[in-house]
Amino acid sequence: MFVINCPYCGEREQSEFKAGGEAHIVRPKQPTELSDDQWAEYLFMRKNIKGIQFERWVHTHGCRKWFNVVRDTSNDMIKAVYKMGEKPPTK
Amino acid sequence: MLNYTNAITEEKSYSGLQMKEVKPIMKLIIRGKKREFLSAIGKSLNLLLPTESNTSSSSEKLSALWLSPDEWMIYSNEISNSDNNDYETEILLDKNISKKNLGAVTDVTDQFVMINIKGDKIFDLFETGSPFNFNDFRNKNGSVTQTILAKIDVIIHNQNKNEVNLFVRRSFSQHLFSWMNDSASRL
Repeated sequence: MFVINCPYCGEREQSEFKAGGEAHIVRPKQPTELSDDQWAEYLFMRKNIKGIQFERWVHTHGCRKWFNVVRDTSNDMIKAVYKMGEKPPTK
Repeated sequence: MLNYTNAITEEKSYSGLQMKEVKPIMKLIIRGKKREFLSAIGKSLNLLLPTESNTSSSSEKLSALWLSPDEWMIYSNEISNSDNNDYETEILLDKNISKKNLGAVTDVTDQFVMINIKGDKIFDLFETGSPFNFNDFRNKNGSVTQTILAKIDVIIHNQNKNEVNLFVRRSFSQHLFSWMNDSASRL
């Protein structure tokens, strides 16, 4: 369990949130031109890093807004939180 | 309001805690982002929507709760007229907001049940079933939070010292009330 600082509501406990997987995955501009393998790569394949990971989270039981979190998966330390559409702090 | 049946029929009281459903209370959810939306609401209702997170504002007749950067709940401070199902506020907002495409107005009167809780043990009760830190919340009149209480989504409005209004979805209300009674009896 850890505390997430929602960019809209402030510090809340993790149980109020839901994780939405890896962040900053760009949808291909021309999906019809992709092979099945390339499409599957975009759709299903995600990194599973031990260390700093960029993730999307949603404040399900609060403001219901999506935002991005930079989390160290090895110790659940949250390095940064930023709104959707904002640039990641380090990348 | 016509044909309103209470979700919670009992009124319960414990040492330092009184709980009851207040009905019928008009409740509206309004959503919008534009600057014109905020000013149209202000002009229509003579009530400024709170833009700071976790806060509320109120006028003589209405209270507005901040739910998210583009979503607010408005509820009536007094019990609504029980002769019909029309609300002056909703009709006004429908005309000035919905019809002008500035935002959305949804009547959630029947969706949410408002439970009024009074007493000095309110936050002792909440702390038995919520992950939210009520330390700052309890000292600030008008603060609002959406959080979880006994795994149920609730909206809590700290109306006055030792008085809060709690909004819960109707289908969860009886279970939550029964949980609150159980928990209150052990405080």
